[in-house]
Amino acid sequence: MENLNSTANEKIIQDLLPQKFGKSGKIWTGILVAFCLVGLFAYYRQLRYGLVVTSMRDYVSWGIYISNFVFFVAISLVGSLITAVFRLADVHWSTPLTRIAEIIAVAAIIFASLIIIVDMGSPERFYNLFIHGRLQSPIIWDVIVITTYFFISILLLYFPLLPDIQILIKYKEKSSKRLQKFYSFIGSFWKGTPAQFKLSEKAINILCITIIPVAFSIHTVTSWLFATTYRPGWDSTNFGAYFISGAFLVGAGGVVVAMYVFRKAYHLEKYITADHFEKMGRIVVLLALLYLYFNVNEYLVPAFKMKKSEEAHLNGLFTGEFAPLFWFAISVGMLIPIIILLFKKGRRPLPVFIAGIMVVVGAWFKRYLIVTPTLLHPFLPMTNVPDSYRHYFPSWEEWAIALGSLAGAMLVITILSRIFPIIPIQETITERHETAE
Amino acid sequence: MKLLNKNILGLLSIIFFLSSYDALSQEAQKGDLNVSISYFINNNKIPYLLAKVKTKVDGKFKPVNAIPLNLFLDKDSAGTLIAKVVTNEKGEATAIIPASLKNQWSSSIKHTFLASFDGNKNYESAKADLTVGKAKILIDTTSDRKITATVFEMKDTSWTPVKGVELKIAVRRLDADLSVNETASFTTDSTGQATADFKRDSIPGDEKGNIILVAKIEDNDQYGNLLVEQTVPWGSKFIPVNNFDRRTLFATRDKTPIWLLFMAYSIVITVWGILISLVISIFKIKKIGEEIQA
Repeated sequence: MENLNSTANEKIIQDLLPQKFGKSGKIWTGILVAFCLVGLFAYYRQLRYGLVVTSMRDYVSWGIYISNFVFFVAISLVGSLITAVFRLADVHWSTPLTRIAEIIAVAAIIFASLIIIVDMGSPERFYNLFIHGRLQSPIIWDVIVITTYFFISILLLYFPLLPDIQILIKYKEKSSKRLQKFYSFIGSFWKGTPAQFKLSEKAINILCITIIPVAFSIHTVTSWLFATTYRPGWDSTNFGAYFISGAFLVGAGGVVVAMYVFRKAYHLEKYITADHFEKMGRIVVLLALLYLYFNVNEYLVPAFKMKKSEEAHLNGLFTGEFAPLFWFAISVGMLIPIIILLFKKGRRPLPVFIAGIMVVVGAWFKRYLIVTPTLLHPFLPMTNVPDSYRHYFPSWEEWAIALGSLAGAMLVITILSRIFPIIPIQETITERHETAE
Repeated sequence: MKLLNKNILGLLSIIFFLSSYDALSQEAQKGDLNVSISYFINNNKIPYLLAKVKTKVDGKFKPVNAIPLNLFLDKDSAGTLIAKVVTNEKGEATAIIPASLKNQWSSSIKHTFLASFDGNKNYESAKADLTVGKAKILIDTTSDRKITATVFEMKDTSWTPVKGVELKIAVRRLDADLSVNETASFTTDSTGQATADFKRDSIPGDEKGNIILVAKIEDNDQYGNLLVEQTVPWGSKFIPVNNFDRRTLFATRDKTPIWLLFMAYSIVITVWGILISLVISIFKIKKIGEEIQA
């Protein structure tokens, strides 16, 4: 029996150890690096010539950088959903998905922090937040909560990794010397003793409890950056809940996309099964319905009243210059995924993957629609501004930096999936044993 | 046909001539200016002049900006020049009587002020004059809140009380002066005095309750505009309510509300306390591992 177990364990380990990039992996990484380099060049131009290289002017002072920031913050919430909520609820089927969620969370929160510094123009202005920042400002709350969430996400990635690092060190031949040095540095002290497991389990449980309010705070505070500003479209008491529901949706969408890609790339069909897609499909459809509900609240109620001061903003979204994008975001980001995922056939891997992509793409444009159209319709229009200020289309530098940051986040996910097992090895072994018993 | 052409040509020539004549005549026509001078003396100190320049546009007087005026004392000569001034957008210009004219000012009990505009491409030249006698007001108050204003004029070499001068006794407010009681104006008696009872007891003063009383003669044909002030502690004390320096959500960083500081620091200390304890757990795990290795 023990021999059978050790053979099964060996099989799991061999299946789940990080694999070197194949040809497609190298091409994928090369494309991401290329996008990052173009983004860096665009950022160099922004540093050299100033924010004037962007299309942001007096009206639209928050463009796609801030849309991107809100998107990253939103998608980072997935770490708390998959890891913390499911773990506390004693949901075991999600175990193969936890590391994917944690890696996405870390990558997203890193680039959320970076893109906000990009938006400041000169990076040294970040220092001003500390020497002149006011605790009364939601921007300072955001800085505090993002830093905290970043640290928690790192810990939540690190603690469950410790047993896997022991395995990685044991299987030296599967990784380079440099990687072995790195593994030894971060986790050679893990011996898998009961005392270590006890401390680790306790720490993970504390993290899972802590990360939920912090995750709620991070996105609520991000929503307050808008909601505490008296502007059409932002002046809402509902914004915190609206943002959090949207964040959970895009996070879950991101996970199903990553699940599908990793499953295909690393041949993980035995571990990330069709049942996982079925269950994640149900979660995504529930979250999409919830987010749709909040959208109905956010748009239908103001549209019913149609206050004079909000009329231009709402009409711009429903039938005006932003209408194609608005209806695209609503239909692609919510309605079509709901229709796909409501049916059992729609919850098979490929349709779930397609629905996941739609959710993520729709979510990015939805963030753009939350940020930019409002800025074009202030309660008090500015006088004596050039007509071009009344419209906004990002410059190539903005596109390059935004796409570069998205590529950067995916590059971080790719690199972490190359270094660490994308499915927790030790937890999988333990769970298989528990199931067998 | 030829005759018709000739007639049309002739008619057009006449119309052209008339229209060009009209255009030329309009260009040559200059506007008329109305210049006036007012004399002021506040608190019996340095007198000054206010010159106003207006012109009639569509039947209404409108102020004229940038009109240069020469102001003279008694006669139009270089030695009696008070000032050269230019009107502002309200069509007004002011000038004090300079110290250089002190001897001339003291030599007479009446003076005539002259204002002259030499004319420019838009306006004809214009002049104005004003004659005033030297006068002053003294203000006095009693503990039962009576205000007495006495008007004097200079006769020969001494100040003599003047009877029958209309004046106002009021309290100075932000935009205008408020009469001290229901009587709008007062007239001096044979002793040159006018007395008013102060009936604005609850009127807000400054932080010490001080208010400023004024006695003033306005647009008097003989004396011009005279005004005298006196500060009295008859108002109610004004305690300013200023949120600028308080701990509010819109205050500076060093004035953060205590409740916000308490909440924010409590949350940050609690959460980071937990995180630090988790980092300590890593070191504990490490210690256990190292002990086994040893």
